[in-house]
Amino acid sequence: MDELIYTLKQQIIEALNLEDMTPEDIDENAALFGEGLGLDSIDALELIVLMEKNYGIKLQDPNQGKEIFKSVAVMADFISKNRTK
Amino acid sequence: MMQHTVHITPESVVVDGKVLNHQEKGAALLTELYRKHIGDYPKFFKMDTLCRLGFVASELLLQVEGAERFVPREDRAVVFFNRNASLQADTTYQATIQDPENFYPSPAAFVYTLPNIVTGEIAIRNKYYGETLFLVIENNDPDIISRQLENTFQDPQTQSILGGWLDCTDENHFEAQIFLIFKS
Amino acid sequence: MIVKVSDNMISPLGMSTAENYAAVKAGRSELKRHDGLWNLPEPFTASLMHREAINEMATQYHLDEAYTFFEKMIILSAAKALEPTDIDPSSEKVLFILSTTKGNVFLLDKHETGFPQERVRLGMAAKQMTDYFHNPNTPIVVSNACISGVCAQIQAMRELESGHFDYVVTVGADVQSVFIVSGFQSFKALSVEPCKPFDANRCGLNLGDAAATIIYTRKDQVEDTDWVAIRGVIRNDANHISGPSRTGEGSYRALRAVLGDMSPDKIAFINTHGTATLYNDEMESVAIERAGLSNIPVNGLKGYYGHTMGAAGILETILSMQAVDDHTILATKGFETLGVTHPLVLSNQNQKTDKRAFIKLLSGFGGCNAALLMAKGGEL
Repeated sequence: MDELIYTLKQQIIEALNLEDMTPEDIDENAALFGEGLGLDSIDALELIVLMEKNYGIKLQDPNQGKEIFKSVAVMADFISKNRTK
Repeated sequence: MMQHTVHITPESVVVDGKVLNHQEKGAALLTELYRKHIGDYPKFFKMDTLCRLGFVASELLLQVEGAERFVPREDRAVVFFNRNASLQADTTYQATIQDPENFYPSPAAFVYTLPNIVTGEIAIRNKYYGETLFLVIENNDPDIISRQLENTFQDPQTQSILGGWLDCTDENHFEAQIFLIFKS
Repeated sequence: MIVKVSDNMISPLGMSTAENYAAVKAGRSELKRHDGLWNLPEPFTASLMHREAINEMATQYHLDEAYTFFEKMIILSAAKALEPTDIDPSSEKVLFILSTTKGNVFLLDKHETGFPQERVRLGMAAKQMTDYFHNPNTPIVVSNACISGVCAQIQAMRELESGHFDYVVTVGADVQSVFIVSGFQSFKALSVEPCKPFDANRCGLNLGDAAATIIYTRKDQVEDTDWVAIRGVIRNDANHISGPSRTGEGSYRALRAVLGDMSPDKIAFINTHGTATLYNDEMESVAIERAGLSNIPVNGLKGYYGHTMGAAGILETILSMQAVDDHTILATKGFETLGVTHPLVLSNQNQKTDKRAFIKLLSGFGGCNAALLMAKGGEL
C-alpha cells in the first residue's frame, strides 16, 4: 500500500502540474480539496481520467469523486480494491 | 495614448524600452520570469504557453505601471490579438485524443483550447470585471489593432486597455508585444 | 444608429431564417443521440447538419472540395444574407467579421490530409470567405469562447459607429468534431438526453452545428420597423476560467450596463445562454435577480439547436428578432419545473407579447459574459 501511495502522489503531481511539490510534501491523510492542496473542479475531473488511464477504474458518476478523492490515502484504498490494471 | 510596453520573445525581454536580464530561453524563460518577478501564483504551472506568456507579460507591465494592485475595477479592458489562436494548447489536447488505443481526453488540457482564456487568467489575477476580448487576425497589423482598440473605448466605462499581440505556435516559439493604453 | 439590413441562418432545422423560425415555433428540434459516431466511446446528443445536403447546395455556389465543411457553411450563410440586398461584398466599405470558437480544428487530426495545415488558422478560414466575395479588407475573427457571437455584433456596431465601413457582414459558425465533443465529455458537461434549460432535472448541455449571419449598417434616420442594435456590453467574472461565478458577477454587470436608460418595462424577454448545466443556469438566475429583472420573461433556445458555440450569439439574436416581430416569446424547449434558486418567468409554451425590445445574454469560458440590447426603431 505504501508503494501505491507513493506512486499515486507522483502521478497526482504530474497530472495536476503541481510543479514545486515532491511526494514528500503531500500528506496522504490531508484533504485534497478545500484546504490541503486546494484543488479545483478541473483537477477533480483530471483525477477521474488518472483513475481510468493508470488503474482502469471508470467512475460513471463524477459525484462519486467527492468521496474517493478525500485524501491520497482514501484514493489509494479505493484503487487497491477496484483496480483492473 | 500608450503608456508602458512589454516585448517578450523566446530570447529577449524588454520592458519600457529597457532590456531585462535573464539566463534562459523559450519555455524556460517564461518560468524564469515567473519565479524572479512573480512567484506567488502556483496556477502558473497549470497554464498553457499562451497563458503563461500573457500572464508573465501582463505582470511585468502592471508592475512597471506601479499602480495599486488587485483592486477590483470595471474600467480596464483586456484585449489581445494573435494569428494562431490557441494552437499550442490545441496541439496538447489533440495528443490526448489522437490514438484510439490510448484515448484519454484531458480536461486540464481542453480548458485552455480557447485563446481568450488568457484574458480570463489576467482578469482573475487582477480582479478586472471589465471587458475581455480576443481577436484573431492573420498579421500583426498595427493599423487594424489600433482601430480595434479605439473601438473598444466606445464603451463609456472603459478608461484603459491592457492589450496587444500575444501569439504562440509551440512551447518555445512565442511573442508578446503588449501595452497599457489610456482613453484620451 | 446601427440597424439590421438582412440575416440568415443555416442549421439542421433549415437553410433560411424563415424556415428555422417556423420550425422552432412549432417546437421541432434535430437533437439526436449519436452512439459510436466518429468512433467516440461515449454516446452524445447533438443537432448535426446533414452534410450531403449542404455539400449539394454548396456546389450551386461554386464551393467545391477545395473548401472545408466549416468554410462552406460560413460562405453559404453570408451569401444567402447578402442575396436580398444590393450590397456589393467586394467593396472596401464592407467588412466581414467571423465569430467562431474552433473553426477548422478537425485539421489537427493526423489523418486529415485533405487541406494545408494553415487552414487551421481562423484568419485563413475567414480569408476563404473574403476571397470568395473578392473583399479587400482583412477579416476580423472574434474568438472569445461562447460569447463570440454577441462580441462580433458589438465589434460590428463599433466599426460602423466609427464610420470606417458602411456595412458589416457578421457571420458566426461552428461545426462539431471529435475534438469538441470529447473535450466537453471530459468535463462531464454533456447530457446524453435532450437538454433541459433551467429545469430541476437538468444535467448538461447538448452541442450543435450552425452558421448564422446578420448584416448591419449605420443609419441616421431609423424607421419604426427597423431593428436597432442599441448597446452591447462585455464583462468578466474575474473568478474561474471555466466555472461560472456563483454571484453571476460578469453577467450581472453586463445586464446592468446594457439597459442604459431604457425602461425594463419595454423588454419583451431576456434570451439567456441557458446551456442546461447545473452551474450556468443557476448563475444566470442570480445575475438576473441581482439586476432587478426577475419579472421580465426569460427564455432559452438551446433545446432546439444545442449549443452552437460561435454561432449561438448570432443565431439566437436572429430568432429573438423574428419572435418579437411575431409578437411571440418562444418556448424554452426542455424546461418543465424550475430548478434554480431565484424565481424566473419561464415557460415551455410559446407566449404572446406586444413589447418590442429584448436582451440577448451569453456567458463563456474564460469568465466572459455579454449582453446585447435590441429594439424596434419605433421604441426609440
